[in-house]
Amino acid sequence: MTTTAWSWRPAAPLLPLLPALALLPLLLVLPGLVHGGGWDLVAQFAAAAMTPSLNPLLLRTAIAGLGITVGIALLGWALSLALGLVGGVLSSRIVWRTCLGVAWPAGAIRRFLAVPRSIHELLWGLLLLQLLGLKPAVAMLAIAIPYAALVARVVSDLLDALPTAPLQALRSSGAPAGAALLTALGPALLPGAFSYGGYRLECALRSATLLGVFGLGGLGTELRLSLQSLQFHELWTGLWLLLAVMLSLEALLRALRHRWGMPSRFKLTTAGVGRSGRELLLALLGLLPVLVLVAVALEISPAQLLAWQPLPPLQANWPAVLALPWAALAATTLGLTLLAACLAVGVAPLLLLLVAPWPWGRLLLRAVWAMGRLWPPPLTALLLLFVLKPGVITAALALAFHNLGVLGRLLLEACEDTADQPGSGGAEVALSCSGCGPRLALLYGRFSGLARSYLAYGAYRADVILRETVVVGLVGAAGLGSLLLEALSSFAVDELIALIAVYALLTLLGEDLSDRVRQRLLSG
Amino acid sequence: MAPPTEPTLLLELRGVTVPGRGANRLEEVSLQLRPGERVALLGASGAGKSTLLAVANGLLTPPAGAVLWQGAAPARSSRLRQRQRSRIGTLWQDLRLIEELTVQQNLNAARLADWGWPKALANLLQPLETEANEAALREVDLDPALLPQPVTALSGGQRQRLAIARLLRQQPALLLADEPLAQLDPRLAVELLALLLRQVTGSRALLLSLHRPDLAGGFDRVLALRAGKLVLDTTPADLNPALLRWLYDPAPAAPRIGTP
Repeated sequence: MTTTAWSWRPAAPLLPLLPALALLPLLLVLPGLVHGGGWDLVAQFAAAAMTPSLNPLLLRTAIAGLGITVGIALLGWALSLALGLVGGVLSSRIVWRTCLGVAWPAGAIRRFLAVPRSIHELLWGLLLLQLLGLKPAVAMLAIAIPYAALVARVVSDLLDALPTAPLQALRSSGAPAGAALLTALGPALLPGAFSYGGYRLECALRSATLLGVFGLGGLGTELRLSLQSLQFHELWTGLWLLLAVMLSLEALLRALRHRWGMPSRFKLTTAGVGRSGRELLLALLGLLPVLVLVAVALEISPAQLLAWQPLPPLQANWPAVLALPWAALAATTLGLTLLAACLAVGVAPLLLLLVAPWPWGRLLLRAVWAMGRLWPPPLTALLLLFVLKPGVITAALALAFHNLGVLGRLLLEACEDTADQPGSGGAEVALSCSGCGPRLALLYGRFSGLARSYLAYGAYRADVILRETVVVGLVGAAGLGSLLLEALSSFAVDELIALIAVYALLTLLGEDLSDRVRQRLLSG
Repeated sequence: MAPPTEPTLLLELRGVTVPGRGANRLEEVSLQLRPGERVALLGASGAGKSTLLAVANGLLTPPAGAVLWQGAAPARSSRLRQRQRSRIGTLWQDLRLIEELTVQQNLNAARLADWGWPKALANLLQPLETEANEAALREVDLDPALLPQPVTALSGGQRQRLAIARLLRQQPALLLADEPLAQLDPRLAVELLALLLRQVTGSRALLLSLHRPDLAGGFDRVLALRAGKLVLDTTPADLNPALLRWLYDPAPAAPRIGTP
C-alpha cells in the first residue's frame, strides 16, 4: 500500500464547484436578513407571470418602449463595433511594429482606452444625461463608449495573438505594410472578432434595458414604474416581450455563429476558422440601412450631441470628500463583487449537476437563466427588498442572479457541444456507457475538460461584476455604487469626481488581477 | 439455435435495423455472443462496424429489432439500466481518457458505476484503491509508479495500455473494442491485441472490430459486415483471399461464398 495522503489541490472537475462554497456562510446569515413582510407581494408577483396584462393601450406602450430599447441597443452596439475596431487596430502592437517599427504607441493607446472601459455604461449614461439632457442619443452613447473600449481591447488581443509568419512572408516579398497587414491578419481576425461582436449585441440589449430602468428611456423605464407601483400584471407584459426578443436574438446569433463556423465564447482564445466570408460581409452591408432607419425613427442626429447644457457650478469641499470612509467603501465593493462572482460561478455547475438526471431539468434551467439575464439587477434588487433587508448581501444576490444567467447559459452550451472534438464530451459518453450515472458522468467526463476555460471566463465575469456593482447601488449600503448614485442625484460634483476616480482605479486593478488569473488558468 | 432467452448468452441482437445512408446503416443484424468467446468483427470502412458496437453497448437504441444483455432487454429504470451497462466495457478508438486527471483517478473512474458520491468526490482529492490499480497496471505491463502521473505525461503506447487497464477495473462481462489497433504501428498492434485476447478469461467475452484481417488468427470466431448486413459468421481458418476481396470490394456483384 502506498501513500493515501490528502492532496489540497483538488482535481479539475471540482474546481468549477469550489466557488459554490460561498453558499455555506450565505445560508447561515440569510435568515437574519429576512424582515418578515413582503412574502404576499412576492407571491402576487409570481402569480402575475401567468396573467400578464393584455390591455391594448399598455401593450402599445410596452411595444413602443421595447422598440426604443432595441433601437438604442442596436445603434450603441454598431457604433461601439466601428469605434472599437479602429481602437483595436490602433492599440495593437503588431500593427505599430509593422507600420512604424515601434510598439510603444500601442501600449500608450491601450492604457488610455482603459479609462472609458473602467466606467460602467450606467455612469456614462447618468453623466451624459447631465450634459445633454434626456434623449435616446444619451443611452446610445453611454453604451457605445465603454463597449468600444472593450471591443478595442479584445480586437488588439486577438490581433497580437495571431501567428506572424504569414505577415513576415508578405513583408519580405515586398508588400507594403498596410496591404500586408490587411491580407495576413484581416481574414484571420474575422471569426473571433465577429463572434465576440455577436455576444456584445446580446450585452447591449441588456445594457439598454438597464439604462431604461434608470430613466434613460425605453422599456426599462416602464418596467421600473410598474414594479414600484406594484402593477405586477403590467410588469409581466413587458418582461415577456423582452424575453421573447432576447431569446430570438440569442437564437439568431447562435445560428449565425454556427453557420459561419465561429468559435464559442469559451474558445475565443483559440483561433477559429470562419466560413462564408462574402455572406458575412453582405449581412453587414444589409445592416447599414437598418441602422439608418433606426436612427431616423429614434430621432438621433449628430447635431444633438453638440448641444450641451450648462453644468451646475462646481462647489468643491475637498476636505469633506477626503474624509469619506474610502477604505471601508472599497472593501465593501470588493466583498460585494467577490460574493456575487462566487455565487454566479459556483452555482451554475452545481445546478447543472443537480438536474442532470432529469430530461426536463436543462429546459427548466434554461428558463431560469434566461430570466436572470433578462432582469436588470436593480429590478431583482428591488424585488428582493420585498423580503430582505437592504445591504451588501441583497445587492450581491441580485448581481449574482443576473450573472448566473449569463454564465449558466454559456456553461450549458459548452456542455451540449457535440462530441466530435477530442475532450469535448467523448469522456462523458464513455462514462455513461460504462454504467456511470448522469451526474458523475457530467462531473468527471465534462467538467474536467471545461474547468479551466470556465473558470477563466468566471474571472473575466468577476471583473464585469466589479464594474456592475454600481447598478445595485440603489439598495443602499452597497459600497461605492450606493454613494455614487447619491452623489449623482444630489449634484455633489466634488464627491462624484472623487468617487468615479476611485471606482475607475479599483476597476483597473480588478481587471489586471482578473487578467493574471485568466492567463494562469489558460496556460497552466 | 439456442432458446432466445437463455441467460448464458452475454449479448444477443435480434433483427437489429438502423436506417440511414452509408456508414451508419444496419440491416436485420442478428447475432449471439456466448461466454468465453473471442470474436473479431470484419468489414470495410463504412460497413457498419461502429454502429453495431454502438448498439451493443447501448449508446444507440435501434429503431427496429431487439438487444438483449445477458438475456434481458435494456431496463426501463435508469438505475437498473446503469447496472446492466456497467457489465459492458468499451475500448474506444480515441481511448476517451480524462486528460485532466491522473492515471489513478482515470482507473478509478471505471468504478464510478458502483461508487456513491462520497467516494467519487474523495477520488478527486485523494488516491483511492491503490492496490487494485497497481494490479491493473501490472496486468497490462505498465509500471505501477505511473499511478500519480497525469495522463498527459504518458506516451501513445502507455495510453493504450492504460485504457485497457481501466477496462479491467470495470470488471465487465463483455468487452467491446472499436478498431483499437487502427492507429498503432504494426508491432504495437500485435502486442496490444495479444494483451486484449489475454483478458478473455472465465465467462468473459470479447467483440473487437478489426481493420486488419491478417490479425484475426487469435480469435475463436469471425463475423463480417458488408453494407450494413451481417454476411459472415465463421472461424478464422475459413477466411480466404477470395472471401476477403469480396468483403472489402466496394462493387456489389460478387459470389456469396462461405456463409454458414
